[in-house]
Amino acid sequence: MPIEWWQNKVIPYADTDEEPAELEELEIELLLEAIRRRSGFDFHNYLHSSLRRRIRNRMTQDKLPTVTSLLNRVLHEEGFLDKLLEDFSIKVTEMFRDPEFFLSFRKHVAPILREKKELRIWHAGCATGEEVYSMAILLQEEGLLERSTIYATDMSKDAIAMAKKGRFPLKRMQAYTKNYLQAGGTREFSAYYDTDHSYAYFHDQIKKQMMFARHNLATDGSINEFHVILCRNVLIYFNPELQNRVHGILTDSLAKGGFLALGSKESFISSHKSQFIEFMPDERIFRKLPVED
Amino acid sequence: MPKAFRAGIRLKIAIGYLLIICCMGAAILLVTNRIASLQNEIETMTARDMEITNLITTIRYNVINMETSQRGFLITGNEDYLEPYKTSIMEWEGQFKALQRFIGDSPSKQGELEEIKTTIERWISTTGEPTIEMRRNNQTDAIIQFFQDDPGKRDIEQLRGLLESLRVKHLADNEAYLNDLDVRNTALTTGLYILVTAVAAVALLIVLLVSNSIVQTIKQVVAVIGEISRAKGDLSKRITVQSNDEIRDLANAMNILLDNLEAKGWVQEKVAEVATMNQGMDDLGKLASSFLSKVAPMVSASHGAFYIRRSSGGRDRLEQLASYVGFGEEQDNRSFKLGEGLIGQCAQDKRAFLLNQPEDYEASIQSGLAEFRAKSVLVVPVEFQGHAIAVIEFASLEPFTTQHLQLLEAIEDHLGVAIDNAAGRMEVERLLGESQALTEELQAQTEELQAQSEELQMQQEEMRITTEHLEEQNLFAEQKTKELEYAKAELEQYAERLKQSAQYKTNFLANMSHELRTPLNSILILSQLLYENGNGSLTSEEEGYARVIHSSGNDLLTLIDDILDLSKIEAGKVSIVLDEVNVTEIPDLMKLSFDPVAEKKGVLFQHEMQPDVPQIIRTDGQRLQQILKNLLSNAFKFTDSGSVTLKIHKADPIVAKHRLPNADPERIVAFSIIDTGIGIPKDKQELIFEAFQQVDGNTNRIYGGTGLGLSICSEFARLLHGCIVVDSELHKGSSFTLYMPVDYDAAVMEVEQSVQESAASRDNLHTGVPAASDALALRETAQPPLAGESESGDSKHNPFPGKRVLLVEDDARNVFAIIQALEQRGLEVAVASNGKECMEMVDADSRFDLILMDIMMPIMDGFETTRALRRHPLMKNTPIIALTAKAMRSDMESCLEAGASDYISKPIQMEQLFSLMRVWLTKQVDQ
Repeated sequence: MPIEWWQNKVIPYADTDEEPAELEELEIELLLEAIRRRSGFDFHNYLHSSLRRRIRNRMTQDKLPTVTSLLNRVLHEEGFLDKLLEDFSIKVTEMFRDPEFFLSFRKHVAPILREKKELRIWHAGCATGEEVYSMAILLQEEGLLERSTIYATDMSKDAIAMAKKGRFPLKRMQAYTKNYLQAGGTREFSAYYDTDHSYAYFHDQIKKQMMFARHNLATDGSINEFHVILCRNVLIYFNPELQNRVHGILTDSLAKGGFLALGSKESFISSHKSQFIEFMPDERIFRKLPVED
Repeated sequence: MPKAFRAGIRLKIAIGYLLIICCMGAAILLVTNRIASLQNEIETMTARDMEITNLITTIRYNVINMETSQRGFLITGNEDYLEPYKTSIMEWEGQFKALQRFIGDSPSKQGELEEIKTTIERWISTTGEPTIEMRRNNQTDAIIQFFQDDPGKRDIEQLRGLLESLRVKHLADNEAYLNDLDVRNTALTTGLYILVTAVAAVALLIVLLVSNSIVQTIKQVVAVIGEISRAKGDLSKRITVQSNDEIRDLANAMNILLDNLEAKGWVQEKVAEVATMNQGMDDLGKLASSFLSKVAPMVSASHGAFYIRRSSGGRDRLEQLASYVGFGEEQDNRSFKLGEGLIGQCAQDKRAFLLNQPEDYEASIQSGLAEFRAKSVLVVPVEFQGHAIAVIEFASLEPFTTQHLQLLEAIEDHLGVAIDNAAGRMEVERLLGESQALTEELQAQTEELQAQSEELQMQQEEMRITTEHLEEQNLFAEQKTKELEYAKAELEQYAERLKQSAQYKTNFLANMSHELRTPLNSILILSQLLYENGNGSLTSEEEGYARVIHSSGNDLLTLIDDILDLSKIEAGKVSIVLDEVNVTEIPDLMKLSFDPVAEKKGVLFQHEMQPDVPQIIRTDGQRLQQILKNLLSNAFKFTDSGSVTLKIHKADPIVAKHRLPNADPERIVAFSIIDTGIGIPKDKQELIFEAFQQVDGNTNRIYGGTGLGLSICSEFARLLHGCIVVDSELHKGSSFTLYMPVDYDAAVMEVEQSVQESAASRDNLHTGVPAASDALALRETAQPPLAGESESGDSKHNPFPGKRVLLVEDDARNVFAIIQALEQRGLEVAVASNGKECMEMVDADSRFDLILMDIMMPIMDGFETTRALRRHPLMKNTPIIALTAKAMRSDMESCLEAGASDYISKPIQMEQLFSLMRVWLTKQVDQ
């Protein structure tokens, strides 16, 4: 390797119009501050690139010329802040998302969990709850649901409300069925829900061990000690600093030998990683040390 | 090495040889000497012997000469003869003396010699001279006389004897001497041998000593070398040599070599240690600090610092990365420009600095460790590919040794590579992190996009549906137009006929009511007459029969009224007559009607009116009464004991808002009819409002009734913009509450309007086709939503109507049941009784929206059929739902493998099947 790499190793970020970007950055800072003061939600440590896109998206939709005009509406228009907050909360999820994760969980993690008399599972950032119901179905089929309590939290009020309902649009259900089958489902997926013309409603049987609550990973702390924490595709919106903080919270919230599941594309590069072993590296399942077996 | 006496091998050998040569010389000298003396002796001996023999012979000769000469003279008297006499007389004395000199020392011979002398002299004196004289005197007689006696001859004889004896003696002496010589010779030979042996022995000894002193040391050296080679790299052994010679030199040289090797080995070992430690380090800071803590003790340094070269803004600086026994945060974070201070200079020149008296430089050297009074400061650059990429500084209380320097020099190369590797790894890690971050961001972006695209898709979906519709319509427009033209004519005919049939129905109903009422009237009147038994002509039994006829007739009449009401409602022909109704009058009105019933059944009829109820409400009084009467009669019908209560109160605004969202919740009156009757199970509570429904079949038999009452009530309530809510517990009683807006007009102007509008449009669509179809349409919209359908009353989302389902099933009973259920939901069902038939049907017409596939079938089973269907070009994506035997996991898996979309196990739960079908008939949004 030539010496040159010592220099010039930082590839400069190509931003064509620097000044407007700077200005926009300032506006976004102000907007985030306003949101924090008004709603208590702190987005400062979210990935600004992501926030910027969502803000721009909102601006395009509402035909707003500047972030400041958006800020104006946030401050003076009732309900607009909530709308923006919902924009910020990305609720992309599906049932048995990444089926191989659930399959792996079923094959390798469930047998270990079977040793436990009582299970506490935390879905941190559960969005509209698809994964919570998936996990409940998995646990039910593995005979673990009765002894489990599934805590599902999200920062979005609407998401939590949706998740509580346990109904999912019919037009996604075919994909969910495929996922369920790929995730090693042992029964009939259709046995878990009723339908009307638009939605599938999951049975109370599945819902009974769930507890939904609002929780903001960016500002709130640990809520209990869990045996399994799923925080999939949540941290990708956070900057490394916040990711590290959340990793800390998740680590503190895990029992010894507990499992932490991250999203399939997520990294776990933080100071807390030394407390874990890579249990199933491909599925991003980590296990907290020390493992007492 | 002390300047001691040095005995080199050469010297030793020389001394040895010299000694031997000396010994030899001495021996030779000795022997030569001995031989010379022997020879001398022999020579002397021989000369004397000859002299003596000569002398003896000469003396004998002389004596003889003298006698001869005397005799000659005597005979002749010639003086000439006397000459030899005279010479011998002169000579013998000298000769005698010489002989005496030779053998005078021997006493035995002395005597003889004296005797010889005397004899000779006697001869001369007695014989020689006198005779001679006598001759001269011519005394011949005397002479003869003399010779008569002849003493001389005795003398001569004696002399001869003497001389002979002397000679013999002399010979004996010689013999003895020779013998002695022989002995001495033998002794000399023996001595010579001894000497040779001794010299040989001495020489051998010397050789031994010398060789020993050489060989011993060599052996020692060899042994040590052997030991070292055997010990495999243990270089700690040293050769010790007592001697002070070349071997010692060799040993010393060897020891120096070993020292060097050991030093080199140490260096290599340490280098290897450091290199191993460096291996796999992926953090520069960690590398630097572990390097320092590893190497500093090796070079006995008490301080160490590690500077790494970093460039920022085109300028290179050496930043302190780690320290060993550092000074603390501030000083440990120093950095130097290139060329600044020793550190900078070191990096710039790529040369090491070793300062052995740093205190002398303290003022001028800007060193990270200058405050420390170290004996020695060492600054070493670390190079990689010809560039100084780091600088290491060590300070020690002791001077650095060559070994230390060698070590550092050796480590430097490795370190350069290690730093480069670590930096490379860090870079890779950083890039990895960056790419990870990018991946995550990408994921985030993807999800955002997904969220957006979902929204878009939803909109698109709607648009697409619309577009599809439009397209379809366009596509079929022409066809339709043509068809429409035909249809129009047909429709006109149908419309005519429908008009007629509607008319027929209305007429029929009117006629029916009329026709039924007429005879019923007669029956009622007559039966009443009969049981009144005015003239007492009937027995009490007969009276009872008549009463039964009457009450049955009454029931029939109510039924007919109900049917009429219902058909009127359905036909939209119920007109509402708005009026002001005095609520306070209602209890009395009801009492009037139901007190007798209460009395008859032995049930308490109570009424209750709360004061905050508005007195006057604006609604259709008659319909209101009808509802209340219906509810009350129901209550009485199902209550055998206890009470029936009519309670009029103001509705709880929350409940009211929920029930009648369009009305002002503050202005709702509630009429509750509470009974203590048989109650209604929870799952039937919705059902009872449907036409012809009662809780169960038995109810009908026990309590009678058609089950139309509640249905009508609820329809009326709806017409009056109110609603009926039931709350009941089985065996405990029921409570029916009628919520009515106080003001009918204000309540739901908008609803009214929209209803009218839709009615109007419907009228436009189906011109002149009222009654039946209208009734149907109204009924559909008026139908209370099913439990699951409450969220979307919008029927356009109902995926079932018109969808074509192919049922592949061989069991006729199942086929019948499933067809019944599916057709009820508006699905078109085609049936194939086995796989073969299924394939034939699909080949003929593949426009199926969903296939229900039994697995256990004759001829061609479900798996095979499914596979065959999946191979069919038009059937690749058609949902196939497998109907499997229960709890056969292997079956399920085989189904999926064969290509089924989902499965459901037998016996089939219809609701689950419908759920499943809804899922698979709903158009999906793509992810």
